Amino acid sequence: MDKTLEKTGIPTTEQVESAFPPQERLDEGAVAIIECFQRIPCNPCATSCPRGAIVPFEDINDTPVIKNENCNGCTLCITKCPGLAIMVVDTTWKDPAGLDRALIKLPYEFRPLPAVGDEVIATDRAGAFVTKAEVVQVLLNHAMNKVPIVTIAVEKSLMRTVRGIHLDARQRAVVCRCNDLDEADIAAYIAGGATSIDELKRVTRLGMGPCQGRNCVPIVQGMLARTLGVPVAELSPGTYRPTVKSIALGDLAEYDSARDELGDGEK
Amino acid sequence: MKNTADYVIIGGGISGVTVGYFLIKHGAKNVVILERDYLTAGATGRCGAGIRQQWGTELNCLTAKYSCEFFENAKEELKYDDAIDIEFHQGGYLLLISTEKELEQTKKNIALQNNLGIASRLLDKSEIKQIAPALSMDGLLAGAFHQKDGHLNPFHTTQAFAQAFKRMGGIIHTNTYVTGITTTGGRVTGVDTTQGHISTDCIINAAGGYSQQVAQMVGVELPLYSERHNILVTEPVERALNPVIMSFSLNFYCQQVPHGSFIMGRTCDNQPRDLRTTADSEFPVHMARSITKAMPSLKKLRMLRQWAGLYNMSPDKCPIYSGTPELAGFYTAAGFSGRGFMLAPATGQSMTEMILGLEPTLPWQRLGLSRFEEGGELILEPSVV
Ligand SMILES: Cc1cc2nc3c(=O)[nH]c(=O)nc-3n(C[C@H](O)[C@H](O)[C@H](O)COP(=O)(O)OP(=O)(O)OC[C@H]3O[C@@H](n4cnc5c(N)ncnc54)[C@H](O)[C@@H]3O)c2cc1C
Ligand code: SF4
Ligand code: SF4
Repeated sequence: MDKTLEKTGIPTTEQVESAFPPQERLDEGAVAIIECFQRIPCNPCATSCPRGAIVPFEDINDTPVIKNENCNGCTLCITKCPGLAIMVVDTTWKDPAGLDRALIKLPYEFRPLPAVGDEVIATDRAGAFVTKAEVVQVLLNHAMNKVPIVTIAVEKSLMRTVRGIHLDARQRAVVCRCNDLDEADIAAYIAGGATSIDELKRVTRLGMGPCQGRNCVPIVQGMLARTLGVPVAELSPGTYRPTVKSIALGDLAEYDSARDELGDGEK
Repeated sequence: MKNTADYVIIGGGISGVTVGYFLIKHGAKNVVILERDYLTAGATGRCGAGIRQQWGTELNCLTAKYSCEFFENAKEELKYDDAIDIEFHQGGYLLLISTEKELEQTKKNIALQNNLGIASRLLDKSEIKQIAPALSMDGLLAGAFHQKDGHLNPFHTTQAFAQAFKRMGGIIHTNTYVTGITTTGGRVTGVDTTQGHISTDCIINAAGGYSQQVAQMVGVELPLYSERHNILVTEPVERALNPVIMSFSLNFYCQQVPHGSFIMGRTCDNQPRDLRTTADSEFPVHMARSITKAMPSLKKLRMLRQWAGLYNMSPDKCPIYSGTPELAGFYTAAGFSGRGFMLAPATGQSMTEMILGLEPTLPWQRLGLSRFEEGGELILEPSVV
């Protein structure tokens, strides 16, 4: 079996192709494209679709199957998918510029958000430059689970290649989203003599945001290993501290009454 | 690694880098700092980095004032580069008063502070409300406030000193563990480290919570113990609290750093004294309880992380700035009892004056080890946490 996805995190052309509906369906209007290929315990897409377009899961590990005829491209599932695995494509858009462009509606969780009319860089699934694209709509409201949707117009021929946007011509590679650190920031500290995650944490706040290092630490361990010429396994893993997940102070304060009510988890 | 030095400082926390910086500033050469991990790996990288001048003894007030004035001018003095921001936020320290006894003591302290040029003042409830609108007034009698108090970023402050120290010729070896100290005939001759031996006739023990361990290498028993203290941080939010708030009787301190996070701590019972810095699972619950009582609007704020560090406690909860009578060339800057960050510029200056034989800026010789001997005079500070 092709292991590209497991190794690189990037699906193969065949996998992407399999997520797209047939041309006839594309010709009918907006439709969700779900690129979720691995069995993982996750199901918000299936439970969120108001039109029953995502077949109910029998097992929480099922991968989503979409009934294209039920989907009207409403974009609701985009905002529910924690993996940002869903986009909506509309090839029936009446392009005011008279060009042959399709709309792609993408989840976009970075700040700042682009504005309508902006020209942004459209990237492929590996994050590489594909083309420039016009922003047609930017949506974010309270019902959207804090997931903004940015709609861009791209040439139909590139519709299967484009899967992301970049606002910044510098093409910075963000490493720590919580504290907005990019690869160049971290590389400079490593070049300046930092040799461990804990050390970088103290100067940059790397890994100290809400994700507590889940996203950035593996990336930065790789950077340290490459720069220092030491295998990752030999690097200090860094200190992990409670709590595993962020928790409201008000809930913590009521911990004792909750424990009295629910028990402490021991049988 | 060069195998000789005129001065060897053990410990790369805020005390080590300030002692190094002031030594060079006053003309010392060949100064080396040895740190077993990396800069700020000890208490410095784990502290609240709060600085207040509201103390109850003259020496503590003046020492804190000296340090505060240094931090106010740190950029001109240290000339660190723009990538560093020591984030000195002078939003004041607001000490909450909830018992008559505290009120009595505070009035005395304020009179003393005002005499020494520290413009602290007593606040009534409506004045407290203005300074910290989010505070609940339940159970409060009054507050004590001094605008020039505040907090810094401990990592960047340490880096700022380290940068100046290196620029002026100082050397820092990180990942270098001091494993032994060599002596002959009642004086030090060098240090053994995991990276080799360095000969020197002057060693400054600035090893924070590990300073007893270092002193034991030469058979000196410092009258200190290290105790774990817990602290936590929340997600960052827009500024909602300007001063550091602190209460002795309610047992907490809390501040919002410029980055937006709230950082808070309290003194917990039954903390280990064996150099452990693991997390105490009871702490966040007690902390959350006291802080949501004092500031109910924080109930929704999410805690991200808790950690712990060592308070290095001395018998009178004041630091030890001292030589060692029985061992020439062995100096101690330790025992900060939970406030070594705010004292750091004074630590650097006073140790330098002692080592180089300069005229003392303040009567810091009172902080020597001899105060713990019979007939010695302790510095009894009424306002420690
Ligand atoms: C939770 C908490 C909150 C605090 N809040 C405040 C506050 O708000 N304001 C304030 O002023 N102070 C505060 N403090 C106290 C303050 O952090 C310390 O007093 C201060 O940081 C001490 O600095 P230091 O350089 O003396 O020690 P440290 O920072 O502990 O540095 C000692 C260094 O020595 C190194 N070392 C130890 N043994 C060896 C060896 N054998 N060889 C080489 N290196 C060695 C260690 O790795 C360490 O880096 C707080 C402390 C804690 C734990
Ligand atoms: S776009 Fe709307 S209709 Fe289509 S699958 Fe998602 S939620 Fe269902
Ligand atoms: S919500 Fe997203 S990640 Fe989860 S199963 Fe559905 S498509 Fe996959």
